[in-house]
Amino acid sequence: EKEKKVNPKTRRGNARGRVRKDSEEEEETRTAGQRRQRNRRAQRKQAGKEDSDSDEESCKTKKNRANQISKQQEPDEGADNNKGGRKGRGKNETKQEKKPEEKGKKDKENKKKDKSNKGSSSESESEEEPITEEELAKLKEEVEEKKKLIATLRNKPWKMKKKLDILKEAQLFVEKFEGALGKGKGKKFYAYKVMMTKKWMKFQRDFENFKTACIPWEMKIKEIESHFGSSVASYFIFLRWMYGINMILFGLTFGLVMVPEVLMGKPYGTLPRKTVPRAEEASAMNFATLWDFSGLAQYSVLFYGYYNNQRTIGWLKFRMPLSYFLVGVGTIAYSYMVVIRTMAKNANEEGGGDDTSFNFSWKMFTSWDYLIGNPETADNKFASITTSFKEAIVEEQENRKEENIHLTRFLRVLANFFALCTLAGSGYLIYFVVRRSQKFALEGLDNYGWWERNEVNMVMSLLGMFCPTLFDVISSLENYHPRIALRWQLGRIFALFLGNLYTFIIALMDEINLKLEEEKIVKYNMTIWEASLYNGTIPENATAPPIQVDPADVPRGPCWETMVGQEFVRLTISDTMTTYITILIGDFLRAVFVRFFNYCWCWDLEYGFPSYSEFDISGNVLGLIFNQGMIWMGSFYAPGLPAINVFRLHTSMYLQCWAVMCCNVPHERVFKASRSNNFYMAMLLFILFLSTLPAVYTIVSIPPSFDCGPFSGKTRMFEVISETLENDFPSWFGKVFSYASNPGLILPFILLMVLSIYYLNATSKSYKEANLDLKKKLQSQAEENKKR
Amino acid sequence: MGSRASTLLRDEEIEEIKKETGFSHSQITRLYSRFTSLDKGENGTLREDQVNFRGFMRTLAHFRPIEDNEKSKDQNGPEPLNSRSNKLHFAFRLYDLDKDDKISRDELLQVLRMMVGVNISDEQLGSIADRTIQEADQDGDSAISFTEFVKVLEKVDVEQKMSIRFLH
Repeated sequence: EKEKKVNPKTRRGNARGRVRKDSEEEEETRTAGQRRQRNRRAQRKQAGKEDSDSDEESCKTKKNRANQISKQQEPDEGADNNKGGRKGRGKNETKQEKKPEEKGKKDKENKKKDKSNKGSSSESESEEEPITEEELAKLKEEVEEKKKLIATLRNKPWKMKKKLDILKEAQLFVEKFEGALGKGKGKKFYAYKVMMTKKWMKFQRDFENFKTACIPWEMKIKEIESHFGSSVASYFIFLRWMYGINMILFGLTFGLVMVPEVLMGKPYGTLPRKTVPRAEEASAMNFATLWDFSGLAQYSVLFYGYYNNQRTIGWLKFRMPLSYFLVGVGTIAYSYMVVIRTMAKNANEEGGGDDTSFNFSWKMFTSWDYLIGNPETADNKFASITTSFKEAIVEEQENRKEENIHLTRFLRVLANFFALCTLAGSGYLIYFVVRRSQKFALEGLDNYGWWERNEVNMVMSLLGMFCPTLFDVISSLENYHPRIALRWQLGRIFALFLGNLYTFIIALMDEINLKLEEEKIVKYNMTIWEASLYNGTIPENATAPPIQVDPADVPRGPCWETMVGQEFVRLTISDTMTTYITILIGDFLRAVFVRFFNYCWCWDLEYGFPSYSEFDISGNVLGLIFNQGMIWMGSFYAPGLPAINVFRLHTSMYLQCWAVMCCNVPHERVFKASRSNNFYMAMLLFILFLSTLPAVYTIVSIPPSFDCGPFSGKTRMFEVISETLENDFPSWFGKVFSYASNPGLILPFILLMVLSIYYLNATSKSYKEANLDLKKKLQSQAEENKKR
Repeated sequence: MGSRASTLLRDEEIEEIKKETGFSHSQITRLYSRFTSLDKGENGTLREDQVNFRGFMRTLAHFRPIEDNEKSKDQNGPEPLNSRSNKLHFAFRLYDLDKDDKISRDELLQVLRMMVGVNISDEQLGSIADRTIQEADQDGDSAISFTEFVKVLEKVDVEQKMSIRFLH
């Protein structure tokens, strides 16, 4: 009923200057009054049917929109036109969809009046007639036909009046006889089921629309795509996808670890582990300390060390250590699942391109979308036509390159040799520097100046700045298709950054070992300190009351987990700062300089030396991937890390979108990105794997600190699982678990999984071959047709 | 606004337009209101090309959506303005700037320059034009005739792309 009331208002709102049929309005008001006396079920059934019509129609447009919004870049004409014209056209289309819908719904009301008059009588009639099997089958066919007609009625190019008449007729028919198909009592239930299905479909469609409207930054990315091509846009799409993953990780850590601790755990200052030590109190609130994530920031929910090892906290009996452990494992598991699922999805969408023979003709004659009504969209479309021509030119050039095979091969081998040399050199440099820094650390860092203290970081940053450019120069020797050249570039810089990772982990392991040593000493000192507290009373005297000590004064063990967390957080922050400053200086200031100093400079700055920068896809993608690796490694020890990363990605998106549109120029050779992101995904998967290794190693083999964190007091962190199994689950559960973890059961299971992987791999290979065969057949047929 | 527009358009005119173009009464009134909203100077013509409403409708007639039942109606009479062949002819005339029934390389170059401006170098534009002619040309005269044009757009859904979708 609400729908019908809404109809007149929205129609009035939508129909600008459209001539309305007065007769229809009158009917509307009349039926509004009479409507309430109608048979409810029949009304709803009608409503359901109308919705299904609009469902099917809008399903197509919805699918179209979903295709465009998908991550994959579709190179064919139709999609390009759709994308460009969507903004201007979208308004028209939604209005059109609404109008027929509303008109259809209004029709329903008209129909209802008529139908109810006829329907009830005809229903009673049909119930009286005996229906034979044949007639039933024939009836069913006819009903199906009428239903199909109702569904496709919108597409028919008839006059509105004719459509309305036919719709009325068909609906009457279906209403009359569909009920007869269900038997007796089942009829009502059947009709109800049908109505609910249709309501559900409508709900699903609305939800899909809502979801599509919620996709963030879609217009920004489309704009970038039109001006810079699909390869640059693919970076931003990747960034957006990462943002989504980080939001989920943030949700997990925030909701299940940080919030319970804040709400139900003991507050700051009650326990030694939760308080800033006396010695550091003076500087705990300084900005410099906070920026370094020590001081007050260190003793907060952001880091591992703050959490208490109480088995349950609060009135909910929330099991903090268990939750901490499971969230850590869960974030990694979720990330694996998401990455692999995305890879699988991308793999499916790769096939099936229709290589036409009229590539350039189509681009020439059919690129422009005449339905664009919005100036901005028109600008974007103009830019995207240019870009698509450039892409096509690049593809052609690559196809036509006359290769002197031997020279090319020689050059490529030479280039790879240089690249390997560079990588080996940087690897050795890093190793050397790390060794030196370990030596410095042993001798005490205070003896050395700023350079020695930050040597490792500086060397890494310098390598990260200059080596990619070097690789760029080397790759000009190789003469690859730009897409392939990008991949080589990515691979080499990846290898370089692995060196970064290696040093970082080595440094970390060294520090952990140091801290473990320190811990032993502190433990020993603790007993002495406690004894001194009791002032000479014998420690075995258990009846002596415990002396109250201010938590800030208790000597602390070095908490290696917090230290690890801090390192990761510092690294993320410094990474972010470096990226932003590089963008601001390298891109923005450079663009300003070129733009304004061009008037008073000897040579043309815009064409000559500095000129405007191009967007560095490989560097940015790798930065993103390695950053994510850091997050994965560090989020177990610093639950606040995903939150920091979400914030960083959010600001990154805006800053980079602005910087790209403002300071960068499109590449000389604009190439179409490959249809799938699988290359990025593969690297991400590799990094994910590499990141889980250190985390798992530390969890499994290093004993947790004795006085900080949720696992303090245990010999190994994963003992919390066995503890939970013993205490919280019924005893038979523990038995079942121990049976299930019997190697005799696990090994055959692993064997079965390996075999099924092999089988699935074999079948998918055979499918791919069949696919290729069919494609070739299609192509040769198309060529034959063309010749004819 | 709707009511004001309909009084400026006389019924006989509507009948004439209807016969010529095939639009229905309501569609014509609707398009007239759009025409007046485009006609900022309110002098009955669209500024630059001095197109009056009749000319406007004649052009738009090419973009009328194709209807199924029309095919059976009059096979004897002249082909309606919105048939596939006429739509393609309209598009062809867009590119055939000197109206000699052939799209030559120069015409393609001019059109390309209008499409992409200075963002692509001239020699690249020349290559694109050459390549387009190479793809489409079948009789070897280095120009695209109307039949060749039709062949190129064989697989393109012209009826759908060159149709107004906001009229029912």
